[in-house]
Amino acid sequence: MWNQKTEFHLFTIPQWKQEEAYLRQQHQAGWKFTRVTGLGLYHFVSCPPEDVVYQLDYPLENQGAEYLQIFSDCGWEYIQTFWGYSYFRKPVSAMNGPEEIFGDDESRLDLIRRVTKRRLLPLFILFLCILPQAWLQSQFPYPANYVLALILWAQVAVYLVLFAWCGYSFWQYWRNYRR
Amino acid sequence: MDAHIRKVYVPMTETGFYILLCLQEEKHGYGIVQQVEELTGGEIRLSPGTMYGSLAKMERDGLICFVREEEKRKLYQITDLGRQVLDWETKRIERLYRNMMEVQG
Repeated sequence: MWNQKTEFHLFTIPQWKQEEAYLRQQHQAGWKFTRVTGLGLYHFVSCPPEDVVYQLDYPLENQGAEYLQIFSDCGWEYIQTFWGYSYFRKPVSAMNGPEEIFGDDESRLDLIRRVTKRRLLPLFILFLCILPQAWLQSQFPYPANYVLALILWAQVAVYLVLFAWCGYSFWQYWRNYRR
Repeated sequence: MDAHIRKVYVPMTETGFYILLCLQEEKHGYGIVQQVEELTGGEIRLSPGTMYGSLAKMERDGLICFVREEEKRKLYQITDLGRQVLDWETKRIERLYRNMMEVQG
């Protein structure tokens, strides 16, 4: 299997720009992305090194066939959809100057809005459900409760870190696009 | 309603403007991309993600309407409301151009 490889890479919800750059670098190094599975297993096959731009969209569900058609008409090859993100690529040699799947800041902000609303908001609601439970669990002075409460508060802490991180990343995108 | 549409769409994005301009004849998204490329001598190549999102938004707001589907491509056409918006935007651009000529001589 010398012509295939799999790499584990974790990108959090707002890190699609980093993910695009990672896939482009791999292709430049002669590794063509085939698919991503599981929690972040990226599969590649070897290929001649080429500068290929990778782009991610987060489309609404139930897209008609015309969604993929317009990308393919514009020369963007569709690879897969994974956890709501759709992956596209186009070789630089097929472009006249830099090209992206989103050409203006308004549509880039729309992408951020879609990710926030449909990815971050459900998590936030889950978080709000844990909060009262964690508080209740810490009210009873039994050892079993301490353990449960500890687990719940640990979850709260993980969520808080996640939200802070996502919030910061989104704010960075926002600031860039709202110049 | 009109005030809201005006606030959202005037001034327009470049993609939005070209969509309304080109949809005075029925066309699909990629047809608009091609026509704009031709009109601008290849200078402007509209992006598929932006095009797709703008078409969906304009259809929802009633500026354009779906006509029929042809080989997985949706054909659209401008509506009366769309023409009204295009007219507002055209007047705004004409004013900008006029003022630019006046000031720059």
